[in-house]
Amino acid sequence: MEYNKEKKEIILNKKLSELDMLVLDFINVLNKHADYVIISGYVSIILGRARATEDIDLFIRKMDKNKFLKLYEDLIKNSYWCLNSDNPEEIYDYLIDNFAVRFAKKDEAIPNFEVKFPKTEIDEETFKDCIAVKMPEGSIKISSLEIQIAFKKYYLKSDKDLEDAKHIEHIFKDKIDMEKVYKYKRILEKR
Amino acid sequence: MRKLIPKKDNKKDRMNFVEYWAEYVKTHSDDEWSSQQNILIDSQIKNARSLRLSREDYLKLKSNNA
Repeated sequence: MEYNKEKKEIILNKKLSELDMLVLDFINVLNKHADYVIISGYVSIILGRARATEDIDLFIRKMDKNKFLKLYEDLIKNSYWCLNSDNPEEIYDYLIDNFAVRFAKKDEAIPNFEVKFPKTEIDEETFKDCIAVKMPEGSIKISSLEIQIAFKKYYLKSDKDLEDAKHIEHIFKDKIDMEKVYKYKRILEKR
Repeated sequence: MRKLIPKKDNKKDRMNFVEYWAEYVKTHSDDEWSSQQNILIDSQIKNARSLRLSREDYLKLKSNNA
C-alpha cells in the first residue's frame, strides 16, 4: 500500500473481499449520478483493519429530486433496493430532512450502504479533503486520514472507533498531518 | 516482526493487537494481509446471507440499538 500525500492517492493491490467487490459495484452506479465520499468504518477496513462491518457509510452531494430519481432508478436496475422505502420520493425526503437511508442488494439487508447528504461544515469538508484509493479493479474516494482520525478519536470514541483510529495512525504514522487532525478536533468539539 | 506481548486488561490487549496487526499490514504485501483479512470479511457476508434477515427486521434491530 503506497500513500502519496501530494497526489492525495493510495495505491492498493489487495485481494478483493466480497465487501470490496460490492463497494466497487455500488460506486460504479453512484459515480454516474453523484459526487460521493466514503467515510467511517470502511475507510479503516479498505486500509487493512482486521474487522468486518455491516454497513458502508458515505456522503453524496446534495442533488435535486430529478437527479436523485435517476440515481434511484439506476440502483434498482442494478439489483439494489432501499431498506427504508420503495418510494423514491419518500427516500429523497428522508435525505433532505437529514436522515440517512440504506441501500443493499435486493432481498438482502447486510451489508448495506448508509447514504446521507452532508449537513455540517466538516461534512462538506470531506469532499474537498478526500483521497482516491486506486486498485487494479477500480477506484474509490475516501475521507482524508486526518478527518477519519479526528472523528474516530475525538468524536465517536467507542472502543471500535479508537481501534480504527489507532490502525490508521500506526500505518501512516509519518504522513499524517497532526495540525490538521487538531483543527478538525476543534471543529468537532464545538458540535 | 516483534512478538505480541499479552496484556492483562482486555481493552489494552485488543489495542495491542490492533497495533500488531497494523505493523503486519505495513511490513507485508497487500496480497498477504488481504488474504487473511478476507477470511474474516467474507465469512461475515456468508453468515449475513444465510440469516436472510428481512429489511423490516434489520431496521427494527438498528432502531432498538440506537
